[in-house]
Amino acid sequence: MRHDFLDRYSRLGSPIHRLPTALKLLATFSLILATVAVPFSSLWFFVVAAGLLLIVAAVSAIPWLFIFKRLLLLEPLALGIAVMALFQPNGTTIFLSIVTRSTLCLFTVILLSNTTPFENLLRALGRVGAPRILVTILALMYRYLFVLIDEGERITRARMSRTFSTNRVRRWQALASLIGQLFVRSTERAERIYAAMTARGWK
Amino acid sequence: MHIPDGFLDAKTAGATAALSFIGLGSSLRHASRYLPARKIPLIGLAAAFVFVAQMLNFPVASGTSGHLLGATLAAVMLGPAAAVIVMSTVLIVQALLFADGGIVSLGANVFNMAVVGPLSGYGLYRLMRVVFRGEYGRLVAVGVASWFSTVAAAIFCAGELAWSGTVAWDAAFPAMAAVHMATGLGEASITMLVIASIARTRPELLNDSIPPATVRERSTGFVLVALLVIGVLLLVAPHASDLPDGLEKVASTLGFEQRAPANPNIPAPLEDYKLPGAGSASTATIVAGLIGAIAVLALSLLLARVLVPRSRTIPPFSPAQREGEV
Amino acid sequence: MTVAISVQNLKFRYPDGKEALRGISFEIADKECVGLVGPNGSGKSTLLLHLNGLLPESLPKSPDVMIYGRALGRETATEIRRDVGLLFQDPDDQLFCPTVYEDVAFGPQQFGLSEQKLKVAVMKALEVTALAGHEHRSPHHLSSGEKRRVCLAGVLACEPRVLALDEPTSNLDPRGKRNLIQTLKSIPSTKIIATHDLEMVVELCSRTIILDQGTIVADGPTHSLLGDEQLMLSHGLEKPHILRHLHPH
Repeated sequence: MRHDFLDRYSRLGSPIHRLPTALKLLATFSLILATVAVPFSSLWFFVVAAGLLLIVAAVSAIPWLFIFKRLLLLEPLALGIAVMALFQPNGTTIFLSIVTRSTLCLFTVILLSNTTPFENLLRALGRVGAPRILVTILALMYRYLFVLIDEGERITRARMSRTFSTNRVRRWQALASLIGQLFVRSTERAERIYAAMTARGWK
Repeated sequence: MHIPDGFLDAKTAGATAALSFIGLGSSLRHASRYLPARKIPLIGLAAAFVFVAQMLNFPVASGTSGHLLGATLAAVMLGPAAAVIVMSTVLIVQALLFADGGIVSLGANVFNMAVVGPLSGYGLYRLMRVVFRGEYGRLVAVGVASWFSTVAAAIFCAGELAWSGTVAWDAAFPAMAAVHMATGLGEASITMLVIASIARTRPELLNDSIPPATVRERSTGFVLVALLVIGVLLLVAPHASDLPDGLEKVASTLGFEQRAPANPNIPAPLEDYKLPGAGSASTATIVAGLIGAIAVLALSLLLARVLVPRSRTIPPFSPAQREGEV
Repeated sequence: MTVAISVQNLKFRYPDGKEALRGISFEIADKECVGLVGPNGSGKSTLLLHLNGLLPESLPKSPDVMIYGRALGRETATEIRRDVGLLFQDPDDQLFCPTVYEDVAFGPQQFGLSEQKLKVAVMKALEVTALAGHEHRSPHHLSSGEKRRVCLAGVLACEPRVLALDEPTSNLDPRGKRNLIQTLKSIPSTKIIATHDLEMVVELCSRTIILDQGTIVADGPTHSLLGDEQLMLSHGLEKPHILRHLHPH
């Protein structure tokens, strides 16, 4: 499946994967809260945190290249905002502090999401008291994400086999047409899903 | 504009989380009470759709690409409460699964893109629809409203960064606003093109007749608007005091005040515009914003004209009252 | 002989005005297996949607459909849905839960089964569809054949007396088809199968109904109907190869 870049490693068998979800969530939140709150002067904390995350990553058997690529994907945005922080007194320290914290937090979430299947996260959310309607919508959204990506690819491929120009206006039109078609198909599919849910007794 | 973890301080993260919690909670309650069951899969799918749409790059200028936010599109197609839920679920999944946007800063991101975004877009849309009627008017309203919602979300983002002390307002506001005024053009055009294509293929999907809401249903709207106002007071208003000084500096530099230049042959350098933190960058941004808004209106009028043939339009400002029109 | 499905003069018009069903009447006996064939747009899927009350959107006061003697109206619709298991054409529309187990358990859960009974029903359904061991897999990791089997399991878990299937073999590879047909053979419920797969109809269904433009144009034993070359061609169909072999015409 081409789109399994979104969910390729969440079901491996490493010790980290097998930890209970509640524990992983708790650890994630605690680490993120600490990383955000600890003053930058206590550098030891950040070093220890980084070491901890690296060990967890190693045990989790997730390919390093994958982790690296994910980090790389998200860093530019963080850097972009952080750069603005340079324009103020004490800017350099603030910049370093932000970049360190955000990178560590990114790393933590990447590890969490790639060692825990999404439905486990949802179940945990439900147990913590998230409203049922929200959990249902999140579950449906996640489930149909992959279906929509497939449909989007199909629409794009069909169009690309009939498009010969690369001028920008055409590309915008193609994009808008893709989005429009995807929206219409999504609403139609939603109707069919509702029918299927009702057919099996949903109210 | 997904803010990662580490950029906001405790009070900002906490305050925005509280506002978002109330906003989302309110919208969820509205949905479980007033939305028919058949809309639930639609909200789930709309969220998946927005997620995918946000993944697409659209080419902006030489190598850079912009992304769709989708807040106004969702609000116009599904109504504001549903749009809040749609955008929130997108952000939750992005944060939890892809680290796109932090966990601690999730509250801020939800507030900007799932509350401010859809609400400001929808509000402006409905306002403009009073004046801009018919299919043509709908496209114009959608265009300007989507541009506006993107810029509004960006402004609140800047406000949060400033309140946290991460980035000074006078650096954040001009930067975020300027970038998103440009991205907003893309948002406007794509949203207009999408609505036009839906109007052509499945016109019945466009929510043209909204049944009159009961007072209790309206309460969700009041809550959301109240949250918006609080947000403005917390995050944007405190910086408005810089304005009068900024405006004065602008005025004096442009020579509105009587002032003899030091050397009549050398034009007075516009040094104020180069220094961030002097307040003029922010003022310049506001001025640019107003000009931008007018430009977007003009562009929307043009694009809408291209998309809707003349024979099917009702001119704006028309007194023609079509029944059930939004 | 118990009558499982009774349809009397069923008419249906889509909101855009298109007439989909123009007065359909037929009866299906308990445990009978009936093939429903016809060209595209003949109304096959629409008819199936009427069998568990998904259409019309607001059920009439004097219903045209009776399931095991009960009229399909507003009050009885939910109960009847337990008795009529509908398998949709696109498995992605029907497979909406995060894992295989949860999806198969959805129906029984909605119909109020207790935890233990639920588990038993789900495991049984998974056995029948050869999916035991796949409980924790996510839908987006399944092949299209597997998805279809999960949907079938989800329907079987409710233990319906009637199975209504919409194009069950579409998009399946030969092995997938073979497995599905074997599975269906082993299920004793009343079956009505809307399909283009005429070979499967010959193999599974003793009786066939041919639908064209919303009306029943033929209703009788499969071999005579599908073997009638003239009849088939005049309704946009073709005599299946398996019958060419048996009835050289």
